[in-house]
Amino acid sequence: MNTRHRLLICFALAAFLPGHVTGQAIPVDQSYDTARDLFNMTVDTPPDPAMLARGQAIATHGAGDVQSCITCHSVGGQGDGSGSFPRLTGQPAWYLDKQLDDYTSGARPDDLMTTVAQSLSEDDRAAVSAYYASLAAPLRVARGQLPVNEIQKGAAIARAGSPEKGLPACTNCHGPDGTGNPPSVPYLAGQYANYMVLQLDRWRRGKRGNDFGGMMSAIARKMTPEDMRAISEYYERVANPLTTKDPE
Amino acid sequence: MNTGYSRRSVLFGLGAVMVGAGLPRHAFAALDSTPFSFLSGTEARSLALLCDTLIPQDDFPSASQAGVVDFIDLQLAGGYGRGEHLYLNGPHPEGTPEQGYQSPMPPAKLWREGLAAMQTLIGPLEGQPQSALDQLMTDLSEDKPELAGRVGGKSFFTELIALTNQGYFADPIYGGNKGYAGWHMVGFPGAYGYYTDTIDDDNRPYRQPPMGIGHEPGKTDFSTKG
Amino acid sequence: MARRLAKTDVVIIGAGWTGLTAAYELSHAGKRCIVLERGSYRHDADDFAAPKEHDELKYAVHHAHMINTRTETLTFRNNSNQRALPMRRLGSFLPGVGLGGAGIHWNGQLWRPLPSDLEMRSHYESRYGADFIPDDLNVQDWGVTYNELEPHLDFYEKICGTSGTSGQMADGPREGGNPFEGPRSTDYPNPPMRQPIGPTKFGEAAQKLGYHPFPMPAANATKEYTNPYGAKLHPCTYCGFCERFGCGYYAKADPIICVYDQIKNHENFEIRFKAQVLRVEKSDDGKTATGVTYLTDAGEEVFQPADIVCMNAYGLWNAHLMLVSGLGKPYDPKTRSGTVGRNYAYQTMAGVNVFFDDQVVTNPFMGAGALGTVIDDFNGDNFDHSNLGFLGGGYIACTQTNGRPINYQPTPDGTPAWGADWKRAVRENYLHHASLTVHGSSMATPVNYLDLDPTWKDAYGRPLLRMTFNFPENDRRMADYVMGKAHEIARNMENVKSTSASNRAAEGSDYSIVPYQTTHNTGGTVMGTDPATSVVNRFGQMWDHHNVFVFGAGLFPQNLGYNPTGPLMGVAYWTLEHMKNDYIANPRPLMDA
Repeated sequence: MNTRHRLLICFALAAFLPGHVTGQAIPVDQSYDTARDLFNMTVDTPPDPAMLARGQAIATHGAGDVQSCITCHSVGGQGDGSGSFPRLTGQPAWYLDKQLDDYTSGARPDDLMTTVAQSLSEDDRAAVSAYYASLAAPLRVARGQLPVNEIQKGAAIARAGSPEKGLPACTNCHGPDGTGNPPSVPYLAGQYANYMVLQLDRWRRGKRGNDFGGMMSAIARKMTPEDMRAISEYYERVANPLTTKDPE
Repeated sequence: MNTGYSRRSVLFGLGAVMVGAGLPRHAFAALDSTPFSFLSGTEARSLALLCDTLIPQDDFPSASQAGVVDFIDLQLAGGYGRGEHLYLNGPHPEGTPEQGYQSPMPPAKLWREGLAAMQTLIGPLEGQPQSALDQLMTDLSEDKPELAGRVGGKSFFTELIALTNQGYFADPIYGGNKGYAGWHMVGFPGAYGYYTDTIDDDNRPYRQPPMGIGHEPGKTDFSTKG
Repeated sequence: MARRLAKTDVVIIGAGWTGLTAAYELSHAGKRCIVLERGSYRHDADDFAAPKEHDELKYAVHHAHMINTRTETLTFRNNSNQRALPMRRLGSFLPGVGLGGAGIHWNGQLWRPLPSDLEMRSHYESRYGADFIPDDLNVQDWGVTYNELEPHLDFYEKICGTSGTSGQMADGPREGGNPFEGPRSTDYPNPPMRQPIGPTKFGEAAQKLGYHPFPMPAANATKEYTNPYGAKLHPCTYCGFCERFGCGYYAKADPIICVYDQIKNHENFEIRFKAQVLRVEKSDDGKTATGVTYLTDAGEEVFQPADIVCMNAYGLWNAHLMLVSGLGKPYDPKTRSGTVGRNYAYQTMAGVNVFFDDQVVTNPFMGAGALGTVIDDFNGDNFDHSNLGFLGGGYIACTQTNGRPINYQPTPDGTPAWGADWKRAVRENYLHHASLTVHGSSMATPVNYLDLDPTWKDAYGRPLLRMTFNFPENDRRMADYVMGKAHEIARNMENVKSTSASNRAAEGSDYSIVPYQTTHNTGGTVMGTDPATSVVNRFGQMWDHHNVFVFGAGLFPQNLGYNPTGPLMGVAYWTLEHMKNDYIANPRPLMDA
């Protein structure tokens, strides 16, 4: 399990918060491949410039036969609301890299992404993950009438689960207000409702199973399609300061 | 009980003894307009000196810099101080150490009397050299001094060290552990624990910065919360 | 005169593991059950959701999930020469309250008794001679054998989705499990928990010394799991807020998700909250119970008549209820007659702190209540006691349950308790420490017992339970011996800078109600085959009142070197089987006195 979760990003800690590092040398097991390093913490810390540049290049221009990421995931990385192309900005790099690994190995089957991921080298996958983790992009405002009842219902399940259905609350794992819990857990806040509904449905039907222990499948199987829609609509509208910025 | 003192004016009035070398890392600026709920100014100042003897400033904040005085103030003003989880029925004969807390006083009263008794021991705590405060603490822990009033030295010391420790390391929603000072110091990631993927990553340091119960995404310092 | 309610088939006192399980089984057997719980409703999904649940101060320090001593406590003394004083604050043990009881905040360490544990007197006498057990130890057989309990122990493991590696199957031994365990009819329902570096190093050292390490059996699901009642559990995330907390992840087995959710809508099931049982009422001839009197939420005293009374409160409170109700015969330590309150025992705890060098990063905040590696080589009679001078033993475990910073501050011996050096030691050792636990058995003696206090009362005007207990000499010697073995393992672990050992039952240390040890209070309502030395017969039925069935660790004649929940639930299912298949059709004493 460990060996598949590879490289990430090395963010400088010094700029982060005084006191965290001083006074305590954090040892690193020397037998590790130092390329397999840390987690990304927030997008506010300065990342490794060379890796980011490489990631940006792949994202913008593609690599070899592979089309560029921006073709589907948009120029800023914010995807679209169709359900097929999720927002990538600010997701934990470790998580993005794992998804690309899983697309490559078949652990997460997908018509489009499997080929894309398989055409990228390990280092390319890492670089592009790092790049997207460092981005912030404007929030795409959902159009149409606000489904207020759905949002309320979704909020309740997100925070307090459902005793009737045996559903744990999403906040248990998905971080403060669904903003994620690096390295492993992606944010839901600000992600497209259609994309999340699609993924929950895949979890439920067993078409996706690349998390540990079948956690998300178990959860999705306790949900009705209405629950899935409600939670997803709610989270799409939760502001996520880590991954969004105002439109210029 | 609303005593109307602002934290900053009370605590920073102490001068060099408390602030120590360099600026405090975690200031009380945001709380200036919030008075103490239980402690008087004198009590707060004494308490800051006592707490900072237990947890002094080094590469990491001292107890008072991390908000421990605020924490204790709120605890004593609330359910803990009132003894909401204490069986207080009498009579109250003294017991053996194995029989635990037997004081007839709820903690708020014990603290009030204890802090007052501190003043009778070596005079006002302010202005005392740190060595005298260290000696006082040692004596308290060994139950040595004859404290005025009904509070034993050891029983007050037990409360003092327990609440100081709690204030340094509890979730910041309780007023202490400002900016996650305590959690940064040891490397504790906080209230969001998802370690399924990393539990058996042998010897890999986990550098996720802390997130508490009231964490605002994107903020690493909790001091803007009241 | 209390208002009389409509009669029910079964009234069940307490909504913890045994109470809800009794309600499930008896409801399905066609009996109308009313569960009376003095606490409130709560539920994992909303009440135990992170991050609000992950509050060390509230739950681990201020004990918000546990009884409030203001309304429910006891008095304590080490021996009859002292005056017992109230336990004014929780400390040594943490009983529960509310739906699920202590089953919500438990560690989830789930064991089976050894076959020899259940027949301790017979076994020791047969192996070591009739004179081996000293007169001042009330060692007794349980009256039930491992083979009789096995299907029930097995079933409960499945109810909990227990994760582990089998060591002994009915058809022979297996690699990687506990070679000393009683033979199992089936495998653990879930694969074992994944071990972090600290327990791994312990296992390696233990193996090198010739012992048999295995992953601790845990009532935490390690993958998606459905239990025999239909409850769906989710894999554990090792969040480190396990013991003392409820699990919002549906990973730690608890009575709410495993049992309550699956029975709450059944037509034969009813539960009343904020219902404080004051007394069990007896018939005029004293041969049976007629029901219970309880205080409603509104403060009214009402009488609930029932054909069968099930006592499923926490072990200590079952004994208390019997004493204030006049059920059975109270134990008198002077004459040594009577049985209610007799054979109270606890758990004998010792430990070793292991401090690693900087090469080992333990990440202690990743943990679970039952996460760890264990050896059973020094438990029970798994080793030769011939010349050791004591009975019993305990498992040695390296567990990693939490790194919650208020209470987790390991520092080497000689570190001051406060000040700059203390502060530095705390942060230098936080990520480089492991702890070994010796979880030792606890023998019953004639001088350790429960009765009623003459002075202090509870919130309802009833005398408090009085606990008289100190560690018997036997257990001091046992703990010292096993701790020695643990310390030897610690010294043989790799990358170790220093170690330090401590024994709660060391010579010269009296049992103290202050520091937490375990919530494993046993005895007081002991089971057995002889009414002179037991309160209930081997079917959990009171000798004196044949329609009163008693559950919980109060039935243990002495405490084993294991956490009690597994064994007591095995006995609970055994009792329920006999109630369903025998007693109900023909109510009568199931054993001759």
